[in-house]
Amino acid sequence: MLRFMSWLPESGPGRDDFARSFALRPDLFEAWKEFASIFWEKRLVDPVLLELCRLRVAQLHGAAYPLSTRMREATEAGLDEPKIARLASWWKQPGFTDLERACLRFAEQFVLDAKAISDEEARPVVAALGDAGTVAFVEALAIFDGFGRFCRMLDVQPREEPA
Amino acid sequence: MSAPRVEPPGPRVKLPERRGNDPISASVLGHQPEALQAFMKLYGRLWSHGILPQSTKELARIRNARTLDCGI
Repeated sequence: MLRFMSWLPESGPGRDDFARSFALRPDLFEAWKEFASIFWEKRLVDPVLLELCRLRVAQLHGAAYPLSTRMREATEAGLDEPKIARLASWWKQPGFTDLERACLRFAEQFVLDAKAISDEEARPVVAALGDAGTVAFVEALAIFDGFGRFCRMLDVQPREEPA
Repeated sequence: MSAPRVEPPGPRVKLPERRGNDPISASVLGHQPEALQAFMKLYGRLWSHGILPQSTKELARIRNARTLDCGI
């Protein structure tokens, strides 16, 4: 039997420790899943762009659980593992578009010090995504940041049940 | 002679054109109504059905807003 990989003394049902942790508040979990999935299902932001930023936020947090997962929408849209492998040093790596670089810079600032985001950093993001797209992008960043912290604070680790 | 008035910069994203009386949906969040609806459902459950004391949640909310210097 697998040990529950978290600081929490109890857990709910679920396929991994993130789900088992959040399942302790099932009503919140359901509402969170609905909110978090809308950005992918409705394609409010390009899924490859969004996945790169999700993973970069997780890298900054050192959050193993979100780093262990891949969003199907992004994979199907062409995001591959070699590019993800270059993400930790994206600023000196080839293969990232100008928009991806602008959004990664913005996402990093969101995590590190949201107060310090400059107009120069925001301008290319807003220009490319538009007002509605930028709002969706920042909402998604809030989810990535918040639940990266959730996983770190509760020490939620990736550990799938054996098939 | 007084110095010319300098207007503060506006938000980086324009407010939505169709705005109701609700301050949240009239904010930039109104650009994404489906996401806003889902967020409000989550936020509402957090406040209405939570097991933590309201005072604890409110202290954390205000402390977070102050840390981020967020006037809203």
